[in-house]
Amino acid sequence: MSLLLDVQSVTGGYGAVTVLRGISIHMDVGENIGLFGPNGHGKSTLLRSISGLLRPTSGIHKFDGKDITRKRPSDIVGAGLVHAQQGNTLFGEMTVREILELSAFTHRAQKGAAHALNHVLTLFPHLAERSRQKAKTLSGGERQMLSIGSALMCSPRLLMLDEPTLGLSPKLKEELSVALKDISRNVPLIIVEQDVELLLSVTDRLYLIEHGEVQREINKDNAPDHAEIMDMYFGAHDQ
Amino acid sequence: MKRNLFLVLSLAVLLLVPLFVLDSFTRHLFILAFIYAIIASNWDISLGYCGVFNFGHMTFFATGVYTTAVMAKTFGINPWLAIPMGGATAAFVALIISAPVARLKGIYVVLVTFAFSQLALQLILSQSQITGGAEGMVRIPYLRIGDYKFTRDYKLGYYYAALSLLTCSTIFLLWLSQSPFGKSLQAVRDNEDYARARGISITRQRVLALVLSAVFTGIAGGFFAVYLRVASPEVLSFSTLSLALSMVLIGGAGTVIGPIIAAFVLIFATEAMAGIRGMEEMRFIIVAVGMIFVLRFTPGGLVKLVSGKRT
Amino acid sequence: MSAIIISTLMSGIVLGALYALMASGLSLIWTTLGVFNFAHGALMMIGAFVAWTVSEAMGLGLVAGLIAGLGVTAILGIVIEFLLIRPFYSKPNVLLITTMTTLAAMIILEKSAQMIWGARLKQLPRMIEGDVSVLGAVISAQEALIIVLAPLVLIALWQFTSRTTVGRSLRAVGQNQDAAALIGINVPMTFALAFGLGAALAGLSGILLGSIRFITPGLGAEPLVKAMIVVIFGGLGSLGATAGAAFVIGMTEAFLILVVGLYWTPFLLFVFLIAVLVFRPTGLFGKV
Repeated sequence: MSLLLDVQSVTGGYGAVTVLRGISIHMDVGENIGLFGPNGHGKSTLLRSISGLLRPTSGIHKFDGKDITRKRPSDIVGAGLVHAQQGNTLFGEMTVREILELSAFTHRAQKGAAHALNHVLTLFPHLAERSRQKAKTLSGGERQMLSIGSALMCSPRLLMLDEPTLGLSPKLKEELSVALKDISRNVPLIIVEQDVELLLSVTDRLYLIEHGEVQREINKDNAPDHAEIMDMYFGAHDQ
Repeated sequence: MKRNLFLVLSLAVLLLVPLFVLDSFTRHLFILAFIYAIIASNWDISLGYCGVFNFGHMTFFATGVYTTAVMAKTFGINPWLAIPMGGATAAFVALIISAPVARLKGIYVVLVTFAFSQLALQLILSQSQITGGAEGMVRIPYLRIGDYKFTRDYKLGYYYAALSLLTCSTIFLLWLSQSPFGKSLQAVRDNEDYARARGISITRQRVLALVLSAVFTGIAGGFFAVYLRVASPEVLSFSTLSLALSMVLIGGAGTVIGPIIAAFVLIFATEAMAGIRGMEEMRFIIVAVGMIFVLRFTPGGLVKLVSGKRT
Repeated sequence: MSAIIISTLMSGIVLGALYALMASGLSLIWTTLGVFNFAHGALMMIGAFVAWTVSEAMGLGLVAGLIAGLGVTAILGIVIEFLLIRPFYSKPNVLLITTMTTLAAMIILEKSAQMIWGARLKQLPRMIEGDVSVLGAVISAQEALIIVLAPLVLIALWQFTSRTTVGRSLRAVGQNQDAAALIGINVPMTFALAFGLGAALAGLSGILLGSIRFITPGLGAEPLVKAMIVVIFGGLGSLGATAGAAFVIGMTEAFLILVVGLYWTPFLLFVFLIAVLVFRPTGLFGKV
């Protein structure tokens, strides 16, 4: 069994508040996975734990067989595990071009930088138009594209996206999910999303995360229909 | 209350000290310790209780020093009157400083209060006809009651005068920390937004905190000038600043007795070191290193200020 | 009469150039780490003393002195970052704490300098001898060198931060630490680099200052205050704002000296600064 990512019984949180409670997920080579569930239950925290921004109090993260639990975020990116955070703030005072160019920072990323830049600007023509503008002047949707573009520049072997379509208009959402499908063909993805249907169309397997743990694992065999999805969000769980 | 018992016992001990300590130099150390204890504990009102990054506290002290010196020496006013005048002027200066400072945030408070202390230093150095400039003023009139000069009996009079001053200042601070005003200061420090929502005027609190912290500090300054009979710009030097700041930090910002104890410890330690040859500069280095150690290794309890309070 | 004006203008330009250089190191550290380096003036002083020791006391010449001065201050900067800033990154009051730790560093450096070099005045020799006449006013060639050098260094710094990858990484870290880490930038190492560079800039200004003034352990006190005034005035924001503010302060000071004399000038400069802050609490050009 070749696991690209193996998260084993991770516990962690912020100060006195525990968010992750012994959560375990895994990702095989060749698949894309999605994470969904109510807000504040640990999806973003899990990504931050994997990418090294947050230190777990116990548990292990393994990327391609290697233990990355205590590694520095910059080293984890250097190994090819890239995390695009929620909220896309990036570097407001820098231009689109500067940010994309800088994002090919690690050794691995530098090698294919010119090619990657071309690819990103083709994938997101809006960014090409605005390449000399400062990031803070971009619209929400454009900043989102910049965030994903920047992550692609890091030459990822595994890309984690946190709520890539958050706050976008339906039209932009549609555009972005087309781009995501395109990306998913070349780069293994972990996507955190509210939109379960989008996840089902882009990924192979889903985890429902609640209270810092996996509540349900969903794949093509037991995929829920629309009614069940609504139920998951609004019905079946009593607090 | 254990703390009050501790204070009363300490006072009793200090009252009796002159029975056992008969030499001038050691008594001098005690007097210095009393004065610095006043400076440090009063600094705590703005820094520790109100959370204002006030780096200009020594300005109040210097105001007291020079006001009293000029009044007593140049204008011939009785030192007993000149000393409280030092306190009043210091409070006035605090009022002026607090005008711009009260509405600033973060690093700007540090920079502006610090700038004010530099401004005061410049004023002192440039107006040398009044202040004696870099050389300072000497032969300031001493304290006496009738024919009894306070320097007699190996500074016995000064010892008790300084101790009384410290006692008054400490009672004032204890009362303040328990009072509704004191509590509201801590509220402002701990959670500014919440305090504002409860109707507390942040600006007013800061102004009051600065002014109140200046009163006894200024009086101590005036006393310092009369006791040493010298007024010098040294009081605004970086060395003095860091010494006093260390007392506040090491003793524990946000407590009343912390800085007082630290003042005693540091004064005796640094003066003891000054006696050793080659240690004149080293002792300041040791104090500075001590300050760093406290900031780094002491858990939140000792130094409440740096464990998570915002401006 | 106009000769005095021109001479005052030149004086203002020299001061402005020097202050811009002095403030650039402080500004670099502020924009990258969000920390105010109280030891900035002391680092200037150490740069001057080390350069003097290597160049004069050891007789190895000015170039060696310059390199030694820059090298030692850069290393000191990295040490300060590692010992006095890094342990406090995650604390909520990091700004206040590091203000105090760098203040302590200043005391340590100043008193150490007193112990090592003593109180006797020293001076670095001029790099260029003679006088130069500009627009009818005469200034020393050394001062002319400062006027030329300062903008060059600032431009080099600007190009470094806007064109090179390393320079851009400094800006990135200053704007968003987490995002910087997530594109592979080693944030702690970047902080150390910024501090080392800022300290070296302080060292450079100290060495230049040491060639037109006497070198004493207290050399750094006044420049620290001046650099403080410049960054407060310019708003701590960007290099350009710092440079602009420096020249404004330099000019103001030169003309104040002309109008009210040397004694009243420092006092009035402060009054001016405080007045600006009352009306624009974030400095003339600035945002916090």
